[in-house]
Formats: sequence, C-alpha cells, structure tokens
Amino acid sequence: MSDCSFDIPNSTDWLETPLSLVSPLESSLRCQVCKDFFNNPVITSCSHTFCSLCIRRCLSTEGKCPVCRSSDQELKLRRNWAVQEIVDSFRNARPGMLSLAKHPVDGGKVRGDDNPDGPTPKKRRLNRGETSEESSPVESKMTRLQSRSLRRRAQVAPTEVIEDSEDEDFVPDDGLVACPICKKRMKNDVVFEHLDTCTGPERPSQTTPFSGSLQLRSESPRERPHDSAVTSPQRLPTINYSILKDSVLRKKLRDLGIPDWGPRTLLQRRHMEWMNLWNANSDAKVPKSKQDLLLELGIWERSQGGQAPAASLGGSNSVMHKEFDAAAWSTDHGDEFKRLIANARKRSDAIVRSTIPQSPKGQNELSISNDINAKVTEPNAGEYIETLRSATMGAEQLAYRAEERSGEESGRTEGSSQTQILNATVG
Amino acid sequence: MSSSSVAQKRLFHEYRNLSINPPEGIFAGPATEDDMFNWEALIQGPEGTPFEGGVFAAELKFPKDYPLNPPTMKFVGGGVWHPNGDDPNHYEHASERWSPIQSVEKILISVMSMLAEPNDESPANIEAAKMWRDRRNDYERRVRDEVRRGLGL
Repeated sequence: MSDCSFDIPNSTDWLETPLSLVSPLESSLRCQVCKDFFNNPVITSCSHTFCSLCIRRCLSTEGKCPVCRSSDQELKLRRNWAVQEIVDSFRNARPGMLSLAKHPVDGGKVRGDDNPDGPTPKKRRLNRGETSEESSPVESKMTRLQSRSLRRRAQVAPTEVIEDSEDEDFVPDDGLVACPICKKRMKNDVVFEHLDTCTGPERPSQTTPFSGSLQLRSESPRERPHDSAVTSPQRLPTINYSILKDSVLRKKLRDLGIPDWGPRTLLQRRHMEWMNLWNANSDAKVPKSKQDLLLELGIWERSQGGQAPAASLGGSNSVMHKEFDAAAWSTDHGDEFKRLIANARKRSDAIVRSTIPQSPKGQNELSISNDINAKVTEPNAGEYIETLRSATMGAEQLAYRAEERSGEESGRTEGSSQTQILNATVG
Repeated sequence: MSSSSVAQKRLFHEYRNLSINPPEGIFAGPATEDDMFNWEALIQGPEGTPFEGGVFAAELKFPKDYPLNPPTMKFVGGGVWHPNGDDPNHYEHASERWSPIQSVEKILISVMSMLAEPNDESPANIEAAKMWRDRRNDYERRVRDEVRRGLGL
C-alpha cells in the first residue's frame, strides 16, 4: 500500500493551533463522501454538494442522495463553480495559513513586524493625503479613496504571493518545478538552463492583473492537459445493462477504449466506473486527458475491479476458500508432504507390526481412521503447517493405505491424497 | 498519482480524525497500518448503564468500495448480552441505514448508544429482549456480571 497516503492534509491539522476554528471551515470544504477537498463539486436537486465523481458513484450504486436519501438522477447534477473557487482559494492559502498557525514564534515575529509596518502605510496615507490635498474637508474624501486604492493594491500583493505558494505546493505532485517567468513546468535541473532562454509568459494576455484571477489559477500549468482535444467531452449515456448481450456489451467497452475482459458483472461494473469517471471529468473546468482517466480506471481495476486481490483472507482461511488452488499448494509444499509421508510410513510400519499384527486389514484401517477423526477434530486449526504436523497421524493413515493399495504410488495419487489430508486437517 | 484507492484515502482521513479528536469512550484504528481495511475498535460501556466500566473490543472489516458499502463489525470475545443481539451490524434503526456519509465514528457512537438504549423494535436476542422488558433488574445484573467477567474480575 502506498506510504504517501499517510501524509494527507486533514482538517484536524488545525486543531492544535490557535486557529482551531479553521478546522470546521475546512471540513465544510471537504466532500462528505471521500473526505477530500471538493473536486469538481456538483449540487444535487436536493441542494447537497459533493465531488462530481463521488456523487456519481453513489447514485450509480443506490440512486439516492447520501445525505438526505431523496432519490436523484445524475442527469440533474449541476456544477457548483462557487464552491470550486472557494476550495481552490482555500487550498492555495492553506499551507501559508497553517505554517503561520503552527509556529507561533514565527507568527509572533510576523505580528511584531506587522505592527511597525501597520502604522507606516497609515502615515504614508495621511502624508500623501496631506501633501496632495491641503484643504482639510476634502482630505477625508481623498484618504478614503486612497485607502480604497491601497486596499486594492493590498489585494494584488497577496494574490501574487498565493500564486507563488500554489506553485510551490504542486512541486511534490509531479516532481516538476515551474519556471518563475513563464510558469512552464519542467524538471528541476533544466530550470536554470531554461531561464537563460525564457521568452516570458506563454500567453501574455492571461497575466493581466486580477481579471478573474481564479480562472487564471485553474488554468495553471499543473492542470493543463496533455492535449487540448478534450475540452468539451461528450457525456456518456447510462446503459440499461439487462437488455445487452455479453458480446454487445463487450464491444461497447472496446469501442470506448477500455478493457473488455472478464465476466459480465465485471464488465458492467467497469463500464459504470468508466462512465462515472468520464462524466465527472466533463464537469471539470479543465478536463483531464483520456490517458489520465485510463490510469484512474487502472487504479480502480487494481483495487476493486478484475485485478483486485481475491478476497484477502489470511492464512488458514485461504485453504478453505472455494477457489483455493490445491494443485499449486501441493507442488509448493511437496517436500513437506513427502517428508511427512516418509515419517508416517516409518511409524505406521512400526504400529502395524507391533500392535496389530494379525487383525484383518479392513478393521485395522477403520480403527486408525477413527483415531484420526478424533485427532483432527481437535480445535487446533491455526497456522496451517503446524496443524499439518500435529496431524501426522493423517499422513500415517495415508501411508498405510497407500501401502495397502501397493502400486498406486504415483505422484498423482499422492497429490490428491495430500489434498484429502489437507481438507481433513483443516476442516 | 498515488496508487491508493478512494477507500484507503477516506479510511486514512477517518483514522486521523479518530486518533486526533476521538469521541469519548471510543478508540479505533487499523490493526496494522499496512492494511487500512481491517480495524480494531474499543468501546467503553456507556456511563449510567449496566455496561458501565466494561470495555468491548470489536473488529471492523471494510469492503474495497467503502464508503459506498458499510464495514462489517463484530464484537471480539463473547459479544454482549443485549436485546439486539451481539452482532452490532443489526444495531441500526431503519432510518439510520448506511449511507456513504456515515463513518466509523458514527457507527461506533451508534453502537454505544444502542448499548445504553436497546431498540426493542427489532430484537435479535429474544431471550435478552424479554429479560430486558420484563425483568430489568435481572437483565442489568446479568450484564454487570458479564462486564465483570469480561474484565477478568
């Protein structure tokens, strides 16, 4: 499992800081289904907001809103840009806010710096007001105007800072670094070389100050897809699977460019997942490429789909599993079995000779097998091999029978008898 | 892109929340951090009930498509003497059925409150339910005895 999942930012990050009240704010910016920040938020007809993908998955399993359980259809989902913008700006501001909140020493310093800074703009403002307009009645008006413009200027500064911090944020995501001039992303060691030749921003029109800075941000290089061909993807319609034959469904998957192997239920689930991925992606401001979606489908395939590890039951249980590969098991543990059989043979020879030398063979076998049943039903099933060892008697019986049958000692018999023991001992 | 699934991520968030900001009387987390899909939980018997002082251990197993489907929960070691049986999966009211916005925390809290206030609409352990309804004193004594035994006293 991935280690990186262990440092996911979480709303609890705020709890131990002086800004603990940000925690509920952050929780409310997170999807209640995936607990992550809203990603392409959509609003349902019952006015609840979720990630597009999350709610689509929910609706395709249950057809109901997870919050209020009123039934809804994915066709009625509407995008919720405002929430997306809030989330984006919060995420941009988060690292800075958090580090300020987490290091009260630095925070104090900043506050200390602020204090001397604080009055200065005021003074400057006053000074400017005084110098530019000397009549006192107008002064107040002017200062207000000026302060407004100052405020606007003050807004410019933070947005710039935020955009910087955003780029820093994304460094760990793709291992690339943004060129400080054109914002193009590239490998760390290429940056300096590139800076020498950098011709400036790619699209100068975009850098005009704060004309919809959010749009700007969402078109940041990180999200620029590999190809711009997917700008307006067609939504996939839902399919009534029950009216489709296997072959038709398979062909549909093939036409969509997704894997078409596996049993029918898997085909349906895969198609549904693809449809959800695809349609959620069409809710995105900047949709990802099909390649990226296929990667995501791959993750699904590995975690829940056809390549998911079959029921991850531990040790002893897996022996009991229906599809347990007995043949593979007996080849893997062949040596062990052989040793057991050899041991058993020695001992059973001794038993047969010493204890019951003359009794008829049928009875003999019966008594031993009773013995074995008693042994085997002991609640001793834990570690498989341990069990097997403790039940050497089982192997004794096997060896005894094998000797009686004399001549059926081919590997195949051994193999199948081994599985017999195996079932007996574990069962 | 990280290879972890939605379920893993979400479980990790819940784990973080539960370990940093746990509700009173509830401890829960993955049995090993390699496997986010198997959790262990400890629930304290709610105060003011015969379960008070008891500690009930449970196992939670999560499906791969969590949170679309709920985890299964099982008391470890003997279970409890309770009108709604010792299978906490049957503890929910019909209106509190699973939904993806539920969480481990909510499950455990509802189990805790179910210990305190059995739901006599759907008794799973008829005998315990009868005892609870008709002979409350006997019921409480029995629960207290079992709690004490569970603690090894």
